[in-house]
Amino acid sequence: MGDRILGLIIFGLAIWYGWTAGSYEASFGDPLGPAAFPQMLSVPAALLSLFLIVRPDPDPSWPEHRRLLSQAATIAVLVAYAFFLEDLGFVLATTVAVIALSRLLGAGWLKSATSGVLMAVGLFVLFDTLLGLPLPLQPSFMG
Amino acid sequence: MEILSSLADGFAIAATPTNLLFAVFGCFLGTIIGALPGIGPVNGVAILIPIAFALKLDPTTILILLSCIYYGCTYGGRIASIMLNIPGDASSIMATLDGHPMAKAGKASEALAISAVASFIGSSVATLGLTLFAPFLAKAAIYFGPSDYFALYVLAFAMISGLGGANPWKMLLAGFIGLMLSSVGLDPGTGMARYTGGSFNLYDGFDPIVAIVGLFAISEVLLYLETATHASGSLVPMGKAIPRFREMLPGLGASFRGSLVGFVSGILPGAGASQGAYMAYVIERRFSNKNNTFGKGDPRGLAAPEAGDNAAAGGALIPMLTLGIPGSGTTAVMLAMLVSLNIQPGPLLFERQPQMVWGLIASLYIANIVLLVMNIPLVGLFTRMLTMPQWILMPFIIIVSFLGVYSISHSTFDLMVMIGFGVLGYIFRKLDISLIPLVLGMLLGADMENNLRRALSISNGDFAILVQSPIAATLYSLTALILLGAFALALLKSRRERLDTTEVED
Amino acid sequence: MMTKLTRLLTGVATAAMILAGAGGASAAECIAPADPGGGWDFTCRTVGRLLYDLKIAEEPVQVTNMPGGVGAVAYANVMSKRPSDADLIVATSTVGVTQIAQGKYPADTDVMRWIGMLGTDVGVIVVPKDSPYKSLSDLMDAYKKDPASVVAAGSSGAGGWDHIRLLMVAKAAGMEADAFKQIRWVQFDGGSPAVTQMIGGQVQVVTTDLGEVAGFVESGDIRILGTLSDEPVPAFPDAPTAKSQGFDVTGYNWRGFYTGGEVSDADYQKWVDTMKKLYDSPEWKKAAEGSGLVPIWRGGAEFETYVGEQAEQMRQISKDIGVM
Repeated sequence: MGDRILGLIIFGLAIWYGWTAGSYEASFGDPLGPAAFPQMLSVPAALLSLFLIVRPDPDPSWPEHRRLLSQAATIAVLVAYAFFLEDLGFVLATTVAVIALSRLLGAGWLKSATSGVLMAVGLFVLFDTLLGLPLPLQPSFMG
Repeated sequence: MEILSSLADGFAIAATPTNLLFAVFGCFLGTIIGALPGIGPVNGVAILIPIAFALKLDPTTILILLSCIYYGCTYGGRIASIMLNIPGDASSIMATLDGHPMAKAGKASEALAISAVASFIGSSVATLGLTLFAPFLAKAAIYFGPSDYFALYVLAFAMISGLGGANPWKMLLAGFIGLMLSSVGLDPGTGMARYTGGSFNLYDGFDPIVAIVGLFAISEVLLYLETATHASGSLVPMGKAIPRFREMLPGLGASFRGSLVGFVSGILPGAGASQGAYMAYVIERRFSNKNNTFGKGDPRGLAAPEAGDNAAAGGALIPMLTLGIPGSGTTAVMLAMLVSLNIQPGPLLFERQPQMVWGLIASLYIANIVLLVMNIPLVGLFTRMLTMPQWILMPFIIIVSFLGVYSISHSTFDLMVMIGFGVLGYIFRKLDISLIPLVLGMLLGADMENNLRRALSISNGDFAILVQSPIAATLYSLTALILLGAFALALLKSRRERLDTTEVED
Repeated sequence: MMTKLTRLLTGVATAAMILAGAGGASAAECIAPADPGGGWDFTCRTVGRLLYDLKIAEEPVQVTNMPGGVGAVAYANVMSKRPSDADLIVATSTVGVTQIAQGKYPADTDVMRWIGMLGTDVGVIVVPKDSPYKSLSDLMDAYKKDPASVVAAGSSGAGGWDHIRLLMVAKAAGMEADAFKQIRWVQFDGGSPAVTQMIGGQVQVVTTDLGEVAGFVESGDIRILGTLSDEPVPAFPDAPTAKSQGFDVTGYNWRGFYTGGEVSDADYQKWVDTMKKLYDSPEWKKAAEGSGLVPIWRGGAEFETYVGEQAEQMRQISKDIGVM
């Protein structure tokens, strides 16, 4: 079933990809132009995805609900981390993110907090101070 | 003979106590940087160039320091590939195929040692090749036109099925998806934006490093979350701290074969180190996979791409030094490094500044020796480091991945792309679709399209140009042979299986 | 439990901020709108290093890479987030202005303050040593007879700066704009690959910056048909300019900096003075020449006018030749 769903999605995307390519017309440039190569790719990709629909492999064991939930929560933490990294500053955002992730992995509050703070400060020093790769330090409302 | 004495001079310049001290320092620093996902050798060297200059060292020392950081980074990338199944950069993705299964089977220290020895053999072969053939090969790249490169990429793509994996159709599909993803961004031929949704953030397309980190690192964490029973367990069993020499022997032959393949692919700019590793793996697998052990922790499947990778990096020095053409991202940084030392690569470099050229070759070789000597004893330390509890290791991997990406691009958008690739990687891995063809497609796609379009611009749209050159024609025949061979093999196998089942029924 | 935790957190975070805040805060930052290793990255890192080495800047200049859209991502970022940040400069070049002129950046040149240029690469038209074309006129005659007869290449795509420079010469030679589209143009990932392919016989002529391909001229593998500069280039005094052959075309690729549009006049002037001081140093001249640049200074108001005019000119050319 998983194969079939993915096959359908890829099939749809391949068609859309080839279709959209048709709109790329350069008034100026090489004989082949920007559209031809994507169009050439979309055909075999669509055919191969049909194969996935027609002859799917047996389904893998998908995670049970509780684990699916923790996976979704992890993704949510990551998205939030990426989103707030610049606003909250690296140290604060990282501390919070690490605590959340450690909690999701089953560690206790104290362990999570210690590892969060140590990691945030340690990595900041490693990247910003030692390697010279600038990171936002403070929350933007303080800067 | 003249060349041999030049090389000897190079070593004499390079091997002073101060330089060796910086070599050790550079190798260690490089290993650490390389092991952090997201900062591969390209960015590792670029970041450290200003630091090297700030120390006000003399040019030879800077060259050695940066070469050691470069090689250290590639080696560090393999550590993460083998231990965590997370490649630090494009050229170490092949090490996940057999290296990680070895680590899972408790042979982490052997895998790390094989990787070090194979890398050493690869660069030894490359250095030998450079010494003997550099002047002769200097202009090899001139004879390779766009249609020949296109044929080469077609050959590389056709070999995807040779990677192994349960379902060849899925491998091929993943390869095509990779190619499709590579066309996102500004079209280099006309400057037109394709599949960007009008966002400037996608104008440069998907950065392969961002994709690799997402596909492997984030998906690894998601996979872990569903199998983990308790978070204090470690990812890989400890195994022995000191590798046993006997267990490294099977990799030796593969290392030499891989070195040859890698060196040849390195000489052609545009093929680059990651292709060298890939070709070396595929050919080794075809050659030695008699008992179907590849992909399950066969030492030869680790040794061949590791040797191929380093040999290709050595071979890529030829077009870089003699023509000023960077064959890969890494050689591009080496090029920038040389230019900042006032060494202008080009056809006259070997004549005008032979001491710098041979100094560079000698320092790369020294980097390898130092890495070999330094890393075998450190193997125990690395294996132990990675046995720390998951609730520390997993968040650490994630945060470092984010940092690796963010500190280079300063783009929240890239972080989101990385998370997206993470989810994609998870789904693909659940459905048993290999990620490696996907990454290969992304790496090959742009070059494949550009060279096709260059060839047709030259011929003004006449497709005959694609097969007119003897090189291209040879490459296509080779491709056809390989595909026919694979088809015949599959047919034979299914018939044998059918025979086997009928026998059982009887 | 939670209060202890919060106290711990705040304590460590404050310590970290003090630790790092001591160094950073007011140090200058240079954004290289490209990946590490490219031309803009080189500009930022070389200038940053020299500013500190020569004690013109008190603190090391922080280099930040912000690749994307041939500089458009950095442009958009400075425009929206840091228009008044006086510590920030961004590396750019003619290539960036070309993109702006063709509408490929989020805004026009007037949203930024243009500090100055420190040096320039010179455009050249080169052919292999055994090419039948001995002068620009030979080449242009061949193009006029049959625009599709000669295959040209360079490091930019069709409509990019290398391509435009060739078409500017063609226009000066009196070719009709309709014929421009028939000229076959092949894009390579840099000047060296283009020249290598030309030596291999794949293409017949290359237009690109001299710096990257100077080694091939010195080795005698290729010949310069014309340099697109007012005066002959110091490194190759014998190479004729296009002007001296009757084609009134110059095609520089300058390297310089801009800063946010809301930076105060005083801070802007400070940057102009800083860059002028750097330009006047022998160290910069050496670094520039080492990477194939000709040191040329334009700064302050003069540079702003220059950039505006160049963008306008580029827009006109792009329209004339039909890339827009």
